[in-house]
Amino acid sequence: MERMDDDSTNSKLDALWLEYRNAFPDPEPSANFMPNLWQKIEARRVETTSVFRRLAQACVMATVAATLIIVVLIPRIQREPVYTATYVDILDAAHPMDAAQLLDSGDVQ
Amino acid sequence: MLVDFELIEKARSGDDGAFSQVVQAYRKRILGTIARLIGRPEDVEDVGQEVFLRLYYSLEQLRTAEVFEPWLYRLTVNAAYDYLRRQKRRQESRMSDLSEQQVMMADAAAGGKQNQEEQRRGKIREQVDALLEKVSEEDRILLTLKEVEGLSLKELEKIYRVNENALKVRLFRARQRVLKAYETPED
Repeated sequence: MERMDDDSTNSKLDALWLEYRNAFPDPEPSANFMPNLWQKIEARRVETTSVFRRLAQACVMATVAATLIIVVLIPRIQREPVYTATYVDILDAAHPMDAAQLLDSGDVQ
Repeated sequence: MLVDFELIEKARSGDDGAFSQVVQAYRKRILGTIARLIGRPEDVEDVGQEVFLRLYYSLEQLRTAEVFEPWLYRLTVNAAYDYLRRQKRRQESRMSDLSEQQVMMADAAAGGKQNQEEQRRGKIREQVDALLEKVSEEDRILLTLKEVEGLSLKELEKIYRVNENALKVRLFRARQRVLKAYETPED
């Protein structure tokens, strides 16, 4: 009995699909279909181009900024010496007594 | 095939004239499929143009002209799927803004303008629409392609890029869900 119900529902559904298919014949495209399509294609092309243009502009700006940093800032940083004295001078300044004691002891000729 | 491979190759290599000819050959069939997939005649051309727009910008990725038709159907399915998802979101927000009475009045006003044949079609459309709204967009599209468009399993295999067995299982499950929805009385 249940099987018969299933079959009946199935065939009702099949009939409904068929009616739906017949109720919707392929529609005729409007006269504006092609012009509108080409407009959309063109609009997308412009949009894509402007995205690339913006990307290129951003790259140019980044390159200019990097060049400025390399040309202006780095030489300025490098001009300021990191070490103001030699290693021996620093050692001498840190241990002034050692040198005096060494001279006093007479080991140095 | 509605056009020869040579024309598709020309369109693929960037010939806009050839592309126009391809669109003109396929647009009626594609618009018909879209109409039955989305069930809203007023939006068919927009979705159809979206399909051909996607085709224009993806045509160079097509491996060979032989697979053009499944490729075009895949684009159609994707555009219809995107439309249905957008529509669902829009409908949810629109319905929440309108009272039930307003919705009924709008329906009645729309119905009054139609002639008898259009009303009959509208009724069938509503019935199928109501039925398919109870299943997912994936089920809706798959079943429409199979049951309404009459595509074969071989054609569906190429469109969905799955093997026949997987497709049969998907179809069986989708059909079961629609059957269940068909048997369930309206809320």
